[in-house]
Amino acid sequence: MERRVTLLVVVVVLVIVGLLPLAAMFGKSIIVDGRLTLGVYEKLFANGRQHWPPIGNSLTLATLTAGCVTLLGVSLGLLLGKTDLPLRRTLAVLLSIPLLFPPYILAVCWFNLLASNGVLVHVIPARTLELLSGWLFGLPGCLWVLVSAFMPVVMILTLFYLHAVNPRLEEAGRLIARWPATLRYVTLPTILPGILFGGILVFLLALGEVGAPMFLRYAVFPVETLTQFSAFYDFGAAAAAASPLLAVTLLVLAFERRYLREKTYRLRPTTPGRRMLLVPLGRWRVPALLAVSLLATAMVVLPLLALVVSSLSPFAYPEAWNKAADSLARSLVFAAVGATLLTVFGFFCGYLIHHRALRLWRAVDTLTLLLFTLPGTVIGVGLIALWNRPATGFLYASAGMVIFAYLAQYTALSSRITLATLGNVPQSLEEAAQMTGAPWLARIAYVVLPAALPGVIAAWLIGFIFCLRDLGASMLVYPAGQDTLPARIYTLMANGAPSLISALCVILVAVTLISLAILGSLLRAVGSHR
Amino acid sequence: MSAIELRAVSKAYDGRAVVAGISVSVERGERVVLLGPSGCGKTTVLRLVAGLEVPDSGAITINGSPVAEGGRNLVEPERRHIGMVFQDLALWPHMTVSQHLEFALRYDIRTDLAHRPARIREALEMVRMADRAQAKPGELSGGQQQRVALARALVANPAVVLMDEPLSSLDLELNRYLRREILRLHAELGFTLVYVTHNREEAADIGSRVIAMRPWQDRPPHI
Amino acid sequence: MSKRRLSFAVLAVVIGVMLWRALTPESANAVVVYVSHDQVFSEPILKDFQRDTGIKVLAVYDTEETKSAGVMNRLIAEKANPQADVYWANEPIRAEALRQQGVSAPYRSPSADRIAEQYRDPEGHWTGFSARARILILRQGLKDKPTSIQAYTDPDFKGKAVIANPLFGTTTAHMAALFAVWGDDRAKAFLDALSKNGVQISSSNGESADQVAAGTFQFALVDSDDVHSRQKQGRPVEGLYPDQEADGLGCFIVPNAVLLINGGPHMEAGKKLIDYLLSRETERKLAYSDAAQIPLHPGVDTPPGVPRLEALKVMKVDYATVAAKMQAIQPLLRDWVGH
Repeated sequence: MERRVTLLVVVVVLVIVGLLPLAAMFGKSIIVDGRLTLGVYEKLFANGRQHWPPIGNSLTLATLTAGCVTLLGVSLGLLLGKTDLPLRRTLAVLLSIPLLFPPYILAVCWFNLLASNGVLVHVIPARTLELLSGWLFGLPGCLWVLVSAFMPVVMILTLFYLHAVNPRLEEAGRLIARWPATLRYVTLPTILPGILFGGILVFLLALGEVGAPMFLRYAVFPVETLTQFSAFYDFGAAAAAASPLLAVTLLVLAFERRYLREKTYRLRPTTPGRRMLLVPLGRWRVPALLAVSLLATAMVVLPLLALVVSSLSPFAYPEAWNKAADSLARSLVFAAVGATLLTVFGFFCGYLIHHRALRLWRAVDTLTLLLFTLPGTVIGVGLIALWNRPATGFLYASAGMVIFAYLAQYTALSSRITLATLGNVPQSLEEAAQMTGAPWLARIAYVVLPAALPGVIAAWLIGFIFCLRDLGASMLVYPAGQDTLPARIYTLMANGAPSLISALCVILVAVTLISLAILGSLLRAVGSHR
Repeated sequence: MSAIELRAVSKAYDGRAVVAGISVSVERGERVVLLGPSGCGKTTVLRLVAGLEVPDSGAITINGSPVAEGGRNLVEPERRHIGMVFQDLALWPHMTVSQHLEFALRYDIRTDLAHRPARIREALEMVRMADRAQAKPGELSGGQQQRVALARALVANPAVVLMDEPLSSLDLELNRYLRREILRLHAELGFTLVYVTHNREEAADIGSRVIAMRPWQDRPPHI
Repeated sequence: MSKRRLSFAVLAVVIGVMLWRALTPESANAVVVYVSHDQVFSEPILKDFQRDTGIKVLAVYDTEETKSAGVMNRLIAEKANPQADVYWANEPIRAEALRQQGVSAPYRSPSADRIAEQYRDPEGHWTGFSARARILILRQGLKDKPTSIQAYTDPDFKGKAVIANPLFGTTTAHMAALFAVWGDDRAKAFLDALSKNGVQISSSNGESADQVAAGTFQFALVDSDDVHSRQKQGRPVEGLYPDQEADGLGCFIVPNAVLLINGGPHMEAGKKLIDYLLSRETERKLAYSDAAQIPLHPGVDTPPGVPRLEALKVMKVDYATVAAKMQAIQPLLRDWVGH
């Protein structure tokens, strides 16, 4: 009873923060002046011709990004997780850094690099620079930026799922063939569902991405929703504009659920103590190290260097601090609160899915994934549609809206992390506690949570990063005087000096890295204490 | 009145019958062994008695009180006051030996607060683990872990104890030693024991009665 | 209590305090202002107000991407449940649109007595101050410099010019002003000529200015503060006030506008903020800031590079007419952008 009630409460909260706002938004699109009408949808399809190009652009960008990211991410995951490549931990951390900030900051970095007065102007010939600069604004530049931004997703998933491969299976393969064949016929097929899941996730994230394409002047369809709402506050048109993307997202998730989900649930890291087999690179060690280092330089070091260099003006940092210290403090607070609530909700969602504790466990998983992949602007619009009314004004005018936005958008992360963690916690631990007479909440608090603690802490850390870097939804719903740092950077971009903007971005990245370093040490301390 | 009674209990998974219409009665203080190969449903029977699985049909009573009937549990596992030793022992890696027993007594309303420390000491001495009270499971040998699992199952003085192949992963010498420990504890405490194993020697040693089980699909053809 | 329990208790208290702080509404001695003017220019003024009066300012700013219309439309959406007290618009068209929607309340500030009638709503719903001019930003070193907005249709500049998306910001207002002054037919012909002459569309005035500064285009129609800021950054650009001949159209002047929100939570504080924003001192600060805005009060001190209003040939417009025209031409502009 206790379990059922608690899990139902979690589901109800998820519905309130996630599903109801979407319903409110779509409701406004079909109920106008009290009458049911499909006018905005008719208008959308009547103007279909002018929408096909941005829809085509979105699908092209998303497909190419997912394809490139999957190839690159898997290759890097294998090199960094499965071989004896030197410095692989350092390189893995370095290549993961783009995940810490919104993709539009990477776009800003590349603009700083390739502009005619940019960082590379003294290093690259002018004609080459002009050519590269031309490529930056459009599909090639957008693709490069999104591949850099999302590659860590597949790389990290590959690193994680490699631990799910039973080393005995690989050893059996090695008795017959060499490593390349073993990887191809044993390792990769085992983790293929996980890789495909990663690719699908990246496809959906790229499909909903707004910031970078807008900055790089590549017309994509989610911009239409942002435009309809942000410029015209037209809920109906914004909802209608979101519907094609929503339809694509639902289709893709349906495919994922039908063909992949059960297989990814079954991919669990092998029990601790079993060491993963590493592939010796032999004479390929140095070339591989050079290749990965070059890639890390191109994808991460150069743009960050451009950011730092362009921030180096005498007054940029003091001015940045003066302009944004309050929003930075707020961002940290909101991110901490958001991460905590995300961990709690995500834990119970993950528990619900893992144990199939309620009949609608599949719907919960799908809902969290759907909300994760929707553009933040759609979630923000939905929250406003639902909560902007006199009776709920107290909530609408508070930072609670920002927290709601985080919960709606990112519960999938903590839920899936919990799911993966619980897969490694034997069910018998909870059952043994149950046999002693402990009620459900006590079993969770004293047995399951401690056993799953590293995963819970990882979920908190990841929730913290994503809340800290969030822009799409929070930009729309923050109450007066309570903007977050990413929103502050975005508003200051209009006529803010490039050095100021760069300094603010550097502060955001640095704060995120420092927070992670501190919290990461805490994780190691807790882990060793256990 | 039997300690445990199963009447025409069935359980299927994904449409495949694992237990079909089983009826078993276990008297108070008896040591009953369920013996059979893998997949014959013996662990399922144990989990049904514990309440960790719900029978599809049939009825289960414990000490005369119905605990499962009509396809649902009438009494949840945490209220059945049953001690259980799991096949993988299910020791909590973050708790010390002493904390295992404290937790096992925390929700036992029959033992009052004042008597709990003494009860824990008794249980530790009973399994000869008093000197390792502050150790965590990772610091113990296989045999020691077994004894902790036994102590946890017995500390609240349950009337019924279930053991699911608790000695299967141990070497022969340790296996025999722990069999004797189980018999000694049974003699001291007088609980009703249902024990699952696939090992004939173990079954003969432990059980005052052995019930041989075989997989449902191996049943003889109907004449 | 064990260490772990103590740690969890402390953590729970900290998170609880953070949550309480996040959800607690702000104190009564505050004013909520929605701002369409660039944050980098408006925030210092608001901070000065806060310092000088002790009234806490809670602001929501538009982003470049919401095109200075996002907070305007947020105000319309919140009409039944107003959250803001004051709206600082970066041009009067939006303020006029809000007046028409019934979002504003009339307030005649004593600070605005010497501002010309042309820049004020007759009923006192909004008042203009500190203006920008719509001017051409040129790449430095151009041999043939455009001197009129008609340069967009000049074949000599084919494919060499960019304009910000006319669906948003001051570009919309400028388009509406052209429709109001030229009439629909001539203005539509102008737009068609722009398309035929390969004029590119950027997402914002700022982006247009950056593209010209980067050498991607030769000129663009932007706001005067966009030019000023790029010059301050040392970028190779110059500004030119278009159509200044005796028979020329004149440049379109875009003043900021401030209005009081009907039913806002802190109306008295809102009036104080309006008085402050409309003061000569604020206009002087905005003239000297990187916004480089032209004061509407006569005789306000301005730095070199910021012209006095009386020295310019300005486009003669009625902002209410322009506002009405702006709404009327939306479908046409959407079609034009779509092509």
